[in-house]
Amino acid sequence: MIKLTRVSKTFDGGRSYAVKDLSLSVDRGKTLVLLGSSGCGKTTTLKMINRLIKPTKGIIEVGGKDVTDHNPVDLRRQIGYVFQGIGLFPHMTIKQNVEIVPRLLGWPTHSRRERMQELLNLVGLPAESFAERFPDELSGGQQQRVGVARALAANPAYLLMDEPFGALDALTREALQQQLLTLKNQLKKTIVFVTHDLHEALLIGDRIAILHEGNLEQIGTKKDILDTPATKFVQDLFTIKRPDTLT
Amino acid sequence: MSLDALVAYVVERLPELWLRTGEHLMLTGCSTLGAMFIGIPVGILLFRTTWLRGPLMGVIGILQTIPSLAMLVFLLALLKKIGVLPALIALTLYALLPIARNTLTGLEEVSAEVMEAAEGIGMQEYQQLMMVRIPLAAPMIVAGIRTAAVVGVGIATLSAFIGAGGLGQFINRGLALANIKLILLGAIPAALLALAVDFSIGAFEWGLRPERKRDKKGSVQSLMRRLAFMLPVVLVLISIITYLTKPGWISKSATQLKTGHRIIRIATKNFTEQLILGEMMAQLIETKTDLIVERRFNLGGTMICHGALVNGEIDLYAEYTGTGLTAILKHPVISDPEEALNHVTKAYHERFDAQWLKPFGFNNTYAITVREADAKKNKWNRISDLGNTAIELRAGFTAEFAERPDGYPGLRQIYGLRFGEVRDFDAALMYEAVAKGQVDVICAFATDGRIAAYNLKPLKDDRNFFPPYHAAPVIREEILKTHPKLGDVLSLFGGLIDNATMQRLNFEVDGKKRRTSEVVEEFLKAKGIF
Repeated sequence: MIKLTRVSKTFDGGRSYAVKDLSLSVDRGKTLVLLGSSGCGKTTTLKMINRLIKPTKGIIEVGGKDVTDHNPVDLRRQIGYVFQGIGLFPHMTIKQNVEIVPRLLGWPTHSRRERMQELLNLVGLPAESFAERFPDELSGGQQQRVGVARALAANPAYLLMDEPFGALDALTREALQQQLLTLKNQLKKTIVFVTHDLHEALLIGDRIAILHEGNLEQIGTKKDILDTPATKFVQDLFTIKRPDTLT
Repeated sequence: MSLDALVAYVVERLPELWLRTGEHLMLTGCSTLGAMFIGIPVGILLFRTTWLRGPLMGVIGILQTIPSLAMLVFLLALLKKIGVLPALIALTLYALLPIARNTLTGLEEVSAEVMEAAEGIGMQEYQQLMMVRIPLAAPMIVAGIRTAAVVGVGIATLSAFIGAGGLGQFINRGLALANIKLILLGAIPAALLALAVDFSIGAFEWGLRPERKRDKKGSVQSLMRRLAFMLPVVLVLISIITYLTKPGWISKSATQLKTGHRIIRIATKNFTEQLILGEMMAQLIETKTDLIVERRFNLGGTMICHGALVNGEIDLYAEYTGTGLTAILKHPVISDPEEALNHVTKAYHERFDAQWLKPFGFNNTYAITVREADAKKNKWNRISDLGNTAIELRAGFTAEFAERPDGYPGLRQIYGLRFGEVRDFDAALMYEAVAKGQVDVICAFATDGRIAAYNLKPLKDDRNFFPPYHAAPVIREEILKTHPKLGDVLSLFGGLIDNATMQRLNFEVDGKKRRTSEVVEEFLKAKGIF
């Protein structure tokens, strides 16, 4: 479980807030989508969870324990992170990229190898033809799948995904979304997924948190949000953009 | 010069070429490696400590702007040592800047996105550095090493000035003797060496490029990549082998030194007459005693020779009374030759534990010299005759003469001479310049063979301004005590060479481009000393 209690973050000493007084929680095995336009504080929220950013106020718990009680390095190794810009290491092969966290954790070579093969197959990139390649030899979609495989490598209970499909073309994006849905059901991870794409949010999230200028506008299931929008912002969001297929 | 003669010329000098190349590779290689061991950690340190960046890069940058020769002389004064050590330190300091700067830039340029990923997946700080940042900065770092090594090959040629050997030895000697063949014998291999270093490290850099990594295994490219990585290693191995297999006949010293002080180290400054005198003393000692002579010729000037003698790095060299008096002892000019010699003898004994032996006989003083034709036309015989016409004349002086109190400054004072234009020349080029009419007056050396050869006329020093410059062997008293026979042997030279003879010997080498050792041997035989 991931739980945020009255978390705020300011980068300028209190003149403005990237995240303001945010409380939310994700149940074990569930997926929460943070939805909002750029600058709404969703990436900041994600980075606070694995201590890449330190909150100004508030408490963040992962697995029932305050994150500040964790060693940041150990904490991060327990949380898979899929980065917005993919962030694969360009000087390492796909194999080395996927194996990196198990390697940091000191897994023996053969378990690392097995896990790498298993994961590459899981994300649809057969190890035999992809393991020895370098990131820049892969398409954007393939790289992003490697990013997911890397995040899953050490079998973390938690997964943070920062607009992982944002930079991809529509077709690839849709294929990966479908794949993620399958994975999600298979793996039972607790996932926090950041996106600005309404369609994606509705498709992937068990629950959706809508952020606007650092404030939480509404949190709830797809049904809650569509049927009873809590604020005018949420209502406008869906009346303007709501595709008929979603109802 | 025919091709055969050229080949013969090179083949004859092959053993020494081998030796000098080995020394050159050693100097460049060790200094570059040293600079890597210092520069890369410094670059990393600077990357992590922002506040140190400005000051430290500033200091390294300033080191880089010090002219190489000045740096060598400075280190010489600081370490009180000639030879390899100061040369290595200077070369290492020069190589630091490109390596440290490229390391810093390379580390800074790694994309923030990749580094955030490294932190986000849970790498410790040192793991982020070692596993991600440094590998990604590697091509940039190697580029810095490449620059440093190539520049190092060039600067290493200057090490010969302070007796560290290397290919600069040929260039130096060639410059001293105005011998283009000798200059090229040093310059061409040095240039080739620079190209080889540039190519091999460049190849390594090529192999490091990210796109090279995806070359299929077993493909031509991947084979080339492996070769590229091996090239610098091969170069280092070749350097080591060249250095270790260098011909022993030039440096037999090393082993002999341990079995008792049977070595006598003779130095010379870097001009023809000095080389002849040095060779003469060397051959004499080799024939008349069982001592082994180590020739540390061609050091870059009076101060270097004197410093080396005082520090016990060399045992013997030929000095001129006037130079000892004014340049070393900072004493006012003494015009009487006898008195000058007595003074330096006494002062050297008291202050430097060194002994002046019997002078060779000639007086290599400065001579204000003009073209014979001009002298006839204008009826110039004495320096005073130049008088007011001086302002219309162009003078070509050595840099030393232009500044020394017994040079142009004193000349102006005593004779009231003002030349219209004064240009600095290398001693070897000065004579050409006056002969070709590029200048009208030069500060010739009285014993230079080119005075006669180029139809020049030295003007009489009618006011006895120039101090006497009688050359004599100057030797460390410690060596003289250990080998008392040396004093007797060297005194065989006493008064043996007059000005005309020295002029002729100089011209044999300078003008006719004959080898110093040959000219010296011939002379000693003719004098019945052999």
